[in-house]
Amino acid sequence: MLIYNFKKMNMKRNTLNYLILTVILTVGTLVSCSKDYIEEQPKGNFLEDNYYQNGDQAYSGLIAVYDKVGKESGGFENMVTFMNAASDDNYAGGGGPTDGAGIHGFAHYTIDPGTMPASYWNDYYQGVFRANVLLSKLPDIPMDENLKARFTAEARALRGYFYFQLVRMFGNIPLMTEPVPASEFYTIEQAPKADVYAQIEADLEAAKANLPSTIDVATEGGRFTKGVVQALLGKVYLYDGKNSQAATELAEVNGTPGGASQYGYKLLDNFADLWEVSNTFNSESILETTNTNKSNADWGFWGSGADLGNSINIMVGPRSYTRLNSSAPDFAPGWSFNVFTQSFYDVIKNDPRFDATVADLKAMQDAGDIDYVLGDQDTGYYLKKFMPYNSEATSGGGAKELNYRQHVYIIRLADTYLLEAEALGGTGSRAQALLDAVRSRVGLPSVPVSMDAIKKERRLELAGEGHRWFDLVRWGDAASVLANEGFVAGKNEVLPIPLAELEGTKLVQNPNY
Amino acid sequence: MLLSIYVQAQDIVVHGTVNDDSGLPVTGATVLLKNTSEGTYTDFDGKFELEAPSDGTLVISYVGFTTVEVPINGQNSITVGLKVDLQALEEVVVVGYGTQKKSVVTGAIASVKASELEDLPVTRIEQSLQGRTSGLTIVTNSGQPGSSSTIRVRGVTTLGNNDPLWVVDGVIVDNGGIGYLNQSDIASIEVLKDAASAAIYGSRAATGVILITTKKGQSGKLSVNYNGYTGFSGPARKLNLLNATEYATLMNERYANSADPNSFQLPYPNPQSYGEGTDWQDLIFNNSAQRQSHEISISGGNDKSTFYASFGYLDQDGIVTSAISHYTRKNFRLNSTHKINDYIRFGQTFGYSHEKNTGIDSNNYYGGPLASAINLDPITPAIETDPALINTGDYANPNIIYAPNGFPYGISSHVGQEMTNPLAYVQTKLGNYNWADNFVGNAYVEVEPIKGLKARSTFAGKMAFWGGRSFNPESFLTSSFVTSTNSLSKNTNKGFGWNIENTISYQKEIDGHDFTVLLGQGAYVDNITDGQSVTYNDLPVNNYKDADFGFDISQDNITANAYKNDIHKVISYFARLNYAYKDKYLLTAIIRRDGSTNFGTNNKFGYFPSFSVGWIPNEEAFWPENDVVNQLKIRGSYGVTGNDQIGAFGYLSTISGGRNYYVGNETQGSIVTGNSPDAPANPDLKWEETSQTNIGFDTRLFKNFTLTFDWYNKKTSDILRYVPLPGYLGSTGSPAVNIGDMKNTGVDLSLGFSKHYEDYGFSLNGNVSTVKNEVVYLGTDTDYISGDGIQASSVNSIIRTQVGHPINSFYGFMTNGIFQNQAEIDAYTNSSGGLIQPNAVPGDFKWKDINGDGTITSDDRDFLGSSIPKVTFGFTFNFNYKDFDLLVFAQGAAGNKIYQAIRRLDIGTANFQTSALGRWTGEGTSNTFPRLSSVDPNNNFTNPSDFYLEDGDYIRFKTIQVGYTLPKDIMTKFGIDKVRLYVTGENLFTFTKYSGFDPEIGGGVFGIDRGYYPQARTGMLGVNLQF
Repeated sequence: MLIYNFKKMNMKRNTLNYLILTVILTVGTLVSCSKDYIEEQPKGNFLEDNYYQNGDQAYSGLIAVYDKVGKESGGFENMVTFMNAASDDNYAGGGGPTDGAGIHGFAHYTIDPGTMPASYWNDYYQGVFRANVLLSKLPDIPMDENLKARFTAEARALRGYFYFQLVRMFGNIPLMTEPVPASEFYTIEQAPKADVYAQIEADLEAAKANLPSTIDVATEGGRFTKGVVQALLGKVYLYDGKNSQAATELAEVNGTPGGASQYGYKLLDNFADLWEVSNTFNSESILETTNTNKSNADWGFWGSGADLGNSINIMVGPRSYTRLNSSAPDFAPGWSFNVFTQSFYDVIKNDPRFDATVADLKAMQDAGDIDYVLGDQDTGYYLKKFMPYNSEATSGGGAKELNYRQHVYIIRLADTYLLEAEALGGTGSRAQALLDAVRSRVGLPSVPVSMDAIKKERRLELAGEGHRWFDLVRWGDAASVLANEGFVAGKNEVLPIPLAELEGTKLVQNPNY
Repeated sequence: MLLSIYVQAQDIVVHGTVNDDSGLPVTGATVLLKNTSEGTYTDFDGKFELEAPSDGTLVISYVGFTTVEVPINGQNSITVGLKVDLQALEEVVVVGYGTQKKSVVTGAIASVKASELEDLPVTRIEQSLQGRTSGLTIVTNSGQPGSSSTIRVRGVTTLGNNDPLWVVDGVIVDNGGIGYLNQSDIASIEVLKDAASAAIYGSRAATGVILITTKKGQSGKLSVNYNGYTGFSGPARKLNLLNATEYATLMNERYANSADPNSFQLPYPNPQSYGEGTDWQDLIFNNSAQRQSHEISISGGNDKSTFYASFGYLDQDGIVTSAISHYTRKNFRLNSTHKINDYIRFGQTFGYSHEKNTGIDSNNYYGGPLASAINLDPITPAIETDPALINTGDYANPNIIYAPNGFPYGISSHVGQEMTNPLAYVQTKLGNYNWADNFVGNAYVEVEPIKGLKARSTFAGKMAFWGGRSFNPESFLTSSFVTSTNSLSKNTNKGFGWNIENTISYQKEIDGHDFTVLLGQGAYVDNITDGQSVTYNDLPVNNYKDADFGFDISQDNITANAYKNDIHKVISYFARLNYAYKDKYLLTAIIRRDGSTNFGTNNKFGYFPSFSVGWIPNEEAFWPENDVVNQLKIRGSYGVTGNDQIGAFGYLSTISGGRNYYVGNETQGSIVTGNSPDAPANPDLKWEETSQTNIGFDTRLFKNFTLTFDWYNKKTSDILRYVPLPGYLGSTGSPAVNIGDMKNTGVDLSLGFSKHYEDYGFSLNGNVSTVKNEVVYLGTDTDYISGDGIQASSVNSIIRTQVGHPINSFYGFMTNGIFQNQAEIDAYTNSSGGLIQPNAVPGDFKWKDINGDGTITSDDRDFLGSSIPKVTFGFTFNFNYKDFDLLVFAQGAAGNKIYQAIRRLDIGTANFQTSALGRWTGEGTSNTFPRLSSVDPNNNFTNPSDFYLEDGDYIRFKTIQVGYTLPKDIMTKFGIDKVRLYVTGENLFTFTKYSGFDPEIGGGVFGIDRGYYPQARTGMLGVNLQF
């Protein structure tokens, strides 16, 4: 409301009073605004300088390192579907030949530094950086010393794991064991591969001593134990050509073939039970990613640290899947990535693991039980181990496509059995026993152990779990097996270093890229 | 209609008439008895009646006229002739913290007055500036009602936010929020273009400053104004898409060109059977979208207080799926000024608006009705009535959407992914809306203890509330567009910002030396913003009308989020000296010091100086009187302005969460928050600076022509941006740095002509601006920054910012015709004799081997043009004959390119534009449009290339208006001052070669058309009333 009639002020008041008022108005406010006025401290997040003050903050720092273990199954650019696509067992698949330039490029060996998805490099280096920060802070954090020793061991083991992933994928990588000062941001060079392996082995050896043999998986499942580290170490030694050390470590993990090991590891009786979504942290599982349907993952932060859903599930689901007969499995529709190749189908079709490994949509469609839309290079043979089910679709927040909860094995006992058998050169009674144990679990008779037998067994046992491409490269078989896919020897044993890494840095691209 | 408010008994009654130079009555002139506050106003015939002492003196004044004193000398009847006050008529220009006569302004300031805007039916204030001033590029962000515009003052100044600083009555309002203003409430808009003008807003002025002054009441009679219009809109043009027969024919051909000849079977054996098919565009466009606006204001006052109050209502349907594209706004304004006594003045402005809108995805090929209408096949019917299909396949799904006639909406089995039947899509979005409430106001007190010395304190604030509500029903639009659990969401947000400014100024003239000194201080706070959202999943009802937060939903099905922003503060001290000698030699000097919370202790403060000079030679004695150059002012300026627009705390290393991991099993485990450092600290982060030189002149030629010319050179250095570190450093975020230099040079030209005769008059005002942008430096290690990519080719971005080129240039492959036969492919060889394109077949593009290495790779891309127009222009033509008036307003741009990316490339079966009918089908058929094929090893379609690039030049007749003012003498009898009826056509004609919906593509999309919501063509009928 406006007031039109102002009380008349005394017109005779002299101008001096107003001059004084003027001065007060301006000078007064000038003085009251000091430099402090524009000093602000962030609220709702911490500063690096004042964080890492206690055990809880150290644990939170450690979880940020674990975050990157989720790369195995998190986001469009997860490890499993990417590595599968490059193997002879699976195609890239998806909606079309350009649905994911990186995964299709890798599958057809047309990948170049420009199409290489940078996250495979960046994510693991983020893990390395977080581990390095935590390791540099831990000594000064006032907290329980036993806990500190365990955190230190976990951080080193995780760093070792990340470097192992990096060196396996990219070969020639920079090696940093502490946070890099700004002056050296652009002067880092790649380390000799031997130095990288030496560092990985040193980290894992150091971690082994300070990690518990067993943990309560109800509250700590997913964290590294001594068994996890030994399994990793055995695998690393194998890649590093130190077969006897590999066999030693793996033997401690594996124990008596078919029995329970010192850490309680034991093959599941029923192969199909491995893919029961609720069967987490089972006795065969050594290291698994811990996905959940509770992170309300949504497209806006898909694949980031806050997304804890399993993305493999939606990626491998059949496109526009509809059931025409209620007896057909209740798969949820997905994006048709990683369909099995015909040649793999031909190998596994009579194996007892077929039903748990392959969803034969071709047969179901031929029988008129289902309908679905063919994706890229569709064979009708879908990756059953990670098939999404409508019953698993979240009823909570976020996008249902992104909130599948299936955990994914990074290392399981059948894998370490076969790795040990391989480390033993594929000969001898223990190698035979290890191979037999894997086979007898699925009701297969013994076959004489040999590298060929081990290779065949790994292919069938671990199909679609992201191991095949690494195995082929490790065995030196990639160039011959993958020749039809476009694999070039001397080039495609490693991936190209993402283009952005070479701009303004001292990094050198991998040969022939 | 005599209105006298101070009537006292006097000796005699004086009857008088007030006329202007031409003898016409002056209505509303103030008639005061000298040395008293008693007086009256003239009526419509210019007549007044006043009791006054016979020896008194009358003081008659009226805005725009010289005040006249008339001794009564006992006369009962007095006729007064008022003369136009040339001094007062001269335009006054609002500059920062004050006003200045236009004749002595030395900076480059464009000014738009209310009179130029009054009759224009625009919904947002930015649109009224488009094409009306030089030096400004304004592009509408979308044709959706209520959409904002992208505004650039003299080019793209920096790599980050380029929005100008909006200052409304002293309140800083962000670019998106400026929509709260009502067009009729604007008194003037000033654009401070050069650094010398803008430097008074130092820190925040680098991207230009736009000052808006809202109307104040005039002392005098109460005045009521109404302006209303109503009309209908429709699309100005549709895309030429294939009909069903053409589609089937081309899809057959596409398939045949790549199918295995042994198992060959045409997908559409009889194309003719499909006829015309479905025209999806017809189904989404509304040719009679309604639009109406009503604005009413009342103003008045006396010599103590004035007020201006207004109310506005706007309601507009979008032309695309109007049911879910709609905008309404209601606003209210109250401005007042008060003279408390001779020394103290008080004033305030207050504006409120309530906006409600609903909209669709625009410029997004990934979804929404526009993208679907463009990409869907014309074979699928809008509504499926074939009994053989209903209840089978997709139609068997219980959640499909039904049309009012009981049949299901058609579901395409040819084109999938996000492309859905737009009619069904609309049904799933009904009832969703966003809303916003804005409160913007200021209050000031001004003290003038002695003449020339003024102290002023202003407090200004803006509070905004906004949010949205949406219901996502269980639905099945296509098998890949399924919602299996419904959800109801809402969000509410609050933003607050305020500023205090104190200035003291002193003006003194001694012997022709005119000084004004201004000292000031300000404190600014913004981004005090927070909000929350909540979603209820799995409601027991499945339509938006029944969906409600009242339902008891289990906690597992409720998700909620909250956020807050980091507060931003700036503190400033500034000083300005204006000096003029005999209004002939002019000088302005400014210094401002700003401190910002965005910088650390090393560099919190920045200094921003500027100076400008002017000379008016026609005031010199030696200047010969002539009929050619009547007036001339030559101006020059140089100044530095700053920019602190980078996120908070870039100078610190912060720790953030969200790097989480799930620990434990399903029942006892939990999500644990992981924290780690974001990006390395940059304690040396500092102000970005833009320096600008401006040279120009204003002149009046041959009496009727005015010409303003400015040349500028603007250089931005130490550009604030986030630079991604090499990935091996493991940083999750990118540190904030000062790396980058950029340059803009250009010319602003305005030309005016006006001539008035007894019965008619006309005027023509035009402006042309040119700008040339060049990136000068991006860091020692960085040659370029890759920008937006294109679907199906995420790796080969089409946008590149590179040193030596304009920012965000198009960068891609270059076609060099089409291989007509195998011989041409075989002849295209490299130095070693190998084929450059071994995968090509006749009908494929021949790519230019830019780097000459004998193969086609991503290195064979080059600069293809820029989305920044080289020239923008506008002109307004006014003509009036007696009571009729005509206005024609056109604007346009030239020299820019548009990347036409409206067809989805990863959906091979997506519909084509009819340009595909001219595809290559054999030798000699086409050299521009390649063959169709399901597989594309030559990347004819997926390579981002000049194939998709088109000229963006256009000229658009934005407004054509014819008005008729009813004869005044008749209206006066009804107590009405003025009645004007008008007919307006908006966007009636657009001349362009561009093949998309609309060549005007804004919104930070760098000229990439991904299915742009076109601007409407509208016809309106309106009325202005004044009484």
